[in-house]
Amino acid sequence: MSEAATAHDAHAHHVELGFWRTYVFSTDHKMIGRQFLFLGLFMLIIGGLLAMMMRWQLAWPETEIPLMSWVPEPYMYGGILPPQTYNAFFTMHATIMIFFVVMPIMVGCFGNFLIPLMIGTRDMAFPKLNLLSFWVGAVSGVVMLSSFFVPGGPAASGWTAYAPLSAQAAFTGVEWGQHLWIISLIILGISSLMGSINYITTIVNMRAPGMTYFRMPLTIWSLFITAILLLLALPVLTTALAMLLFDRMFGTSFFLSQGGGEPLLWQHLFWFFGHPEVYVLVLPAMGVTSDILSTFSRKPIFGYHAMAFSMISIAFLSFTVWGHHMFISGMNPLLGTAFMMSTMVIAIPSAIKTFNWLGTLWGGSIRFTSPMLFALGFVSNFLIGGLSGIFMASTPVDIFIHDTYYIVAHFHYVVAGIIFALFAAVYYWFPKMFGRMMNEPLGKIHFVLTYIFFNCAFFPMHFLGVGGHMRRIYNPMQYEFLQPLQGINVFITVSAFLLGLSQIPFLVNFIGSLFAKKRAEKNPWQANTLEWTAASPPPHGNFDAVPVVYRGAYEYSSPEVKEDWLPQDRQLATTSTAARLH
Amino acid sequence: MVREAVARRLIEPEVAEELRTPALGGGEEPPTGVTSTQPAVSNARLALLMFLAAEVMFFAGLIGAFIVFRLASPAWPPPFQPRLPVGVTAINTVILLLSGLTMRLALMAARRGKPTRLVQWLSITALLGTVFLGIQGYEWLRLIGFGLTLSSGVYGATFYTLIGCHAVHVFGAAVWLIAVLLQARRGRFSERSYAGVQLCAMYWTFVVGLWPVLYGLVYLS
Amino acid sequence: MMSWLPENVSTFGGEIDYLFYVIYYITGAAFILVTVLMILFLILYRQREGRRATYTHGSTALEITWTVIPAIVFVGLSFASVSSWGKIKSHPPPPDVQLQVTAKQFNWEILYPGPDGKFGTEDDLQAENDIYVPVNKVVHVILKSKDVIHSFFLPHLRVKQDSVPGRDILVWFQAVKPGKYELPCAELCGFGHSGMRGWLHVHTPEEYAKWVEESWPRK
Ligand SMILES: [Cu+2]
Ligand SMILES: [Cu+2]
Repeated sequence: MSEAATAHDAHAHHVELGFWRTYVFSTDHKMIGRQFLFLGLFMLIIGGLLAMMMRWQLAWPETEIPLMSWVPEPYMYGGILPPQTYNAFFTMHATIMIFFVVMPIMVGCFGNFLIPLMIGTRDMAFPKLNLLSFWVGAVSGVVMLSSFFVPGGPAASGWTAYAPLSAQAAFTGVEWGQHLWIISLIILGISSLMGSINYITTIVNMRAPGMTYFRMPLTIWSLFITAILLLLALPVLTTALAMLLFDRMFGTSFFLSQGGGEPLLWQHLFWFFGHPEVYVLVLPAMGVTSDILSTFSRKPIFGYHAMAFSMISIAFLSFTVWGHHMFISGMNPLLGTAFMMSTMVIAIPSAIKTFNWLGTLWGGSIRFTSPMLFALGFVSNFLIGGLSGIFMASTPVDIFIHDTYYIVAHFHYVVAGIIFALFAAVYYWFPKMFGRMMNEPLGKIHFVLTYIFFNCAFFPMHFLGVGGHMRRIYNPMQYEFLQPLQGINVFITVSAFLLGLSQIPFLVNFIGSLFAKKRAEKNPWQANTLEWTAASPPPHGNFDAVPVVYRGAYEYSSPEVKEDWLPQDRQLATTSTAARLH
Repeated sequence: MVREAVARRLIEPEVAEELRTPALGGGEEPPTGVTSTQPAVSNARLALLMFLAAEVMFFAGLIGAFIVFRLASPAWPPPFQPRLPVGVTAINTVILLLSGLTMRLALMAARRGKPTRLVQWLSITALLGTVFLGIQGYEWLRLIGFGLTLSSGVYGATFYTLIGCHAVHVFGAAVWLIAVLLQARRGRFSERSYAGVQLCAMYWTFVVGLWPVLYGLVYLS
Repeated sequence: MMSWLPENVSTFGGEIDYLFYVIYYITGAAFILVTVLMILFLILYRQREGRRATYTHGSTALEITWTVIPAIVFVGLSFASVSSWGKIKSHPPPPDVQLQVTAKQFNWEILYPGPDGKFGTEDDLQAENDIYVPVNKVVHVILKSKDVIHSFFLPHLRVKQDSVPGRDILVWFQAVKPGKYELPCAELCGFGHSGMRGWLHVHTPEEYAKWVEESWPRK
C-alpha cells in the first residue's frame, strides 16, 4: 500500500502534462507504442479492404464490386475495377501491409512498449527521438495515403517497384503516385532509423542491474536483432529509392538501359534490403511467440541459447541471400547457385526454432488462452510458409514457380501469418497496455474463425501456383490454361471475405475491452518477465523502483518454488540459486 | 533498501527526459555505484556509432552502384565527357585530411581542458572544411559549364550523387562544427565535460575518412 | 496438390518436375511430423489438475540432431538442384532452330532469321505473338526487351526467363509433343500485363515444313 502511494507521489507531476503532451506528442514509450498500434490497425483496415477488392476481381473478373460504384472514373467504372487500378491496389496492399501494418505494430508498437518494460528501465534512451520517430512515421503514412488522391492514382509498379517500369512515368502512366511512394518510403526510412538507434542504445546500455544479455526474454533478443537489421538494411533501400527518384525527376539513368544504366541494379539493391526486411517482419513475431508459448506451457523455453543464436545467425545470413529473388532475372547462373546454397543454409536456423517450439510444448502444462492459441497458429503457419520456401530455394523448381501464386501463398504464410503473432501479442499484452483484460470467449471465436479462413484463403494458392497461375494478373480468365483453375479462385475469394469478417469479433473485443470497467491485475498470466512487475498500465516511469534481475525469463515450474512461476526480479532466500541458474 | 538506492541513483525518469544518461561523455570519471551497470560506451556515442553504421551502408549502396557501372563500361570516362579535375581535387583532399588532423588536436585540447586552444583548433577545422566545400563547389560549376550534368549518362549521374552526397555530409558536419565552436567560445566545455566536442569529432572523422575512398574511386580509377 | 501441374512437354521439364516432387515429399513428411507431434503434445500436455510441467531448459543432443538433419537435407537438395540448373541455364545444346523474341508493352515480337539462318538479313520474318517451332528440335530464343522487364513463360515447357532491356538473354527448350501452348508474360510490365500472351505452336516435321514453305515461298 504505502509503496504504491509513494510511487504515485514521485510521478505525480507527470500526470499534469496535459492532453497534448500525454496523448499526442508524448515522450512516454508506452504512449508511443499505443500510437503505433492504432496507426497500424487503421492501416490494416485499408490494406485489407484493398485485398478484398482485388479478390473480387480475381473471382468474378470485370464485374461490379458491391458498394463501390461511387468511385469516380478512371479509377473504377461503375464499380468495375480496371487493370490500372488493380495494379495500383496490389502495389498499395503490399506496401501498406509491410511498411505500415506489420512494421509499426510488431516493431514500432511492441518494440516501444516492451523494450523498456522487459529490460527494466524507465524509458527509452532517447524519448524525444522516439516521439520524433513516431511522428515522422505518421507523416510518411499520410504521404503514402495521399497518393490515392493525386491524378494518375497511386504507384502501380508493385511493391518491389522493378525498374525500368517504375523509373519512367510513361511506362505505368503514374506520375506523382510513384513519386509519393518513393518519398514516403524515404521518410519512413528516417523514422525507422531513429527507432532502431533508440532500440539498440536502450538495450545495450539501459538494462536493469542483473539483466545480462542471456537473461533477456527472446522478445527483446528478436527486437534487438530486428533493430540491427533495420539499421543496416534500410539505408540501402534509401540509396536505391533516391536513385529511382533521380531517374524519374532529374533525368539520370541509373536504371534505364538507354542511358547506360542497369535495370538489374535496382533488383540487387532492393533485395539486399528486401530479404533482411522479411526477417525484420518475422523475427519479432518469433520472439513474441517464444515468450507466449513458454508462459502458457508453464515451462522454460526449450533451448534458449539455440533460439538466441539462431536469430543471430539469421541476421548475418540474411544479408547473403538476396539473389534468390533473382534466379530468373538474367543474373549469372553461377550466382544463382551460390544464392541457392546460402538460402538453404538460412533455412536451418528457422528449422531449429520450429523444433525448439515443439520442445517447449513437450511436457508442458498447456493453457489454451487466446494469446496461446494465436501463438500456436503462428507456429503452424510459419511451418507451412517455411517449408514452401524450400521449393523456391531450389533453382530449377523456382524456374517454374517464380512469379506464380506459389510465391504468393508462400509469403502470405510467412508475412500475413505474422498477423497471428500480432494478435497473440495484442491479447497477451493488452492488460499491460490498457489495464483491462480482453474477453476470452470472443478471443477464442476470433482465433478459430481466423485460423480456418486464413488457411482456406491462402493454402489453395499453392494449387494455383502449381497450375502455373501468374501473380499480379488482373484477369485469369484471359488465359486458356488457367480457366480450369477458376473454381479455386472463387473459393479463395469467398474465404478471404470470411477471413475479413472474422476480424469483427476482434474489433468488438478490442474496443469493448478498452472501456471495460474491470481492471486487470498486475500479472494476470503469472508470467516471469519484468513488465508484469509494473502496474497495469504502468505509470510514466514504469516501475516503483528499478528492478534487480536474478535469473532468466523462463523459470516456469522451477523446483525452487512452490508456485509454477518465478519472476526475474524475485530474490530467493538461498543466494546460491541465482548463481546456479544461468 | 539497496534496490531503491540503486534505482534512484541510476535512472531517474527526468534524466531520460533530458537525453542525459549517467555515463554521457565517455572519458569522464566513472560515477560511483554499481559498476556492472555502467555502460562502456555512453548512450550518445553509441547512438552516433549506430548512425554512422547506417551512413556506411547508405554510401556502400552508392559505391556498389558506382562499381557496377564502372566495371560495365568499356571506357571511363565515356567518350565526349569532360575529365574530372584530379589535380585540384588532390590538393582539396589534402585540405580535408588536414582538417581531420586539426579536429583531433581540438579534441586533445578539450581533453586537456585548454579552452583557447580548443577554440583555435575548431576554428581552423571549420575554415579548412569551408575551403574544401568552396573548392568543390567551384569545380562543380566548372564541370557543369563543360556540360557534365546529372542526365549525361551514368558517368555524370554517379559523380554528382556520390560526390554530392558527401558534400552534403561535409556541409552538415561543418554546421555542427560551427555550433560546437560557438559553444566552445562561450566556455561550455571543460576537461570533465566535452562530450559535445567528442561527438562532433567522431562525425567529422567519418566525413573526412570517407573522402579518400571516394576520391580514389571516382577520380583516380 | 501436384496434380495441378500442367502437362510437361519439354526435355528438361521432367527434371524440374522430379525435383519438385522430391521436395514435395520431403517437406510433406516434415509437415506431417511436426504437425502430428504438435497436436499430440497439445493433447497430452494440456493443463490438468495436480500435474506440474517438466522443468527442463533443453537438450544439447536434440539441438544437434535437429540442426544436423535439416542441414544434411538442405545440402542434399542443393546438390540435387545444381546439375539440372547448370543444364538448363549454363550449357544449352547446339541449336537446330534460332529465333529472336523481343518483349514490349504488351506483345511478343518474334523474329525468324529465315532460310539463311542469319538475323538482320532480307529474308527475316517478323511476326507477333505466334511462335512456330518443330517438335524434338533444340530451339534457341534470344530474348530482348524494348521497354520494361517482362518474363517469357512457357508453363508447359517449364521455361521462364525475364527479358531485360539492354540485354540479350539466351533461352532454350526442346518440345517433345506437338501442340499449341500458351506463352504468358510472368513479370508485371504495366497495365496491359494481364493478357500479354502469345502462343507457341509446336509442329510435327510435316506441319513445320509446310509452315516454312508458306512463310518463305521459293521464288
Ligand atoms: Cu528473400
Ligand atoms: Cu507482363
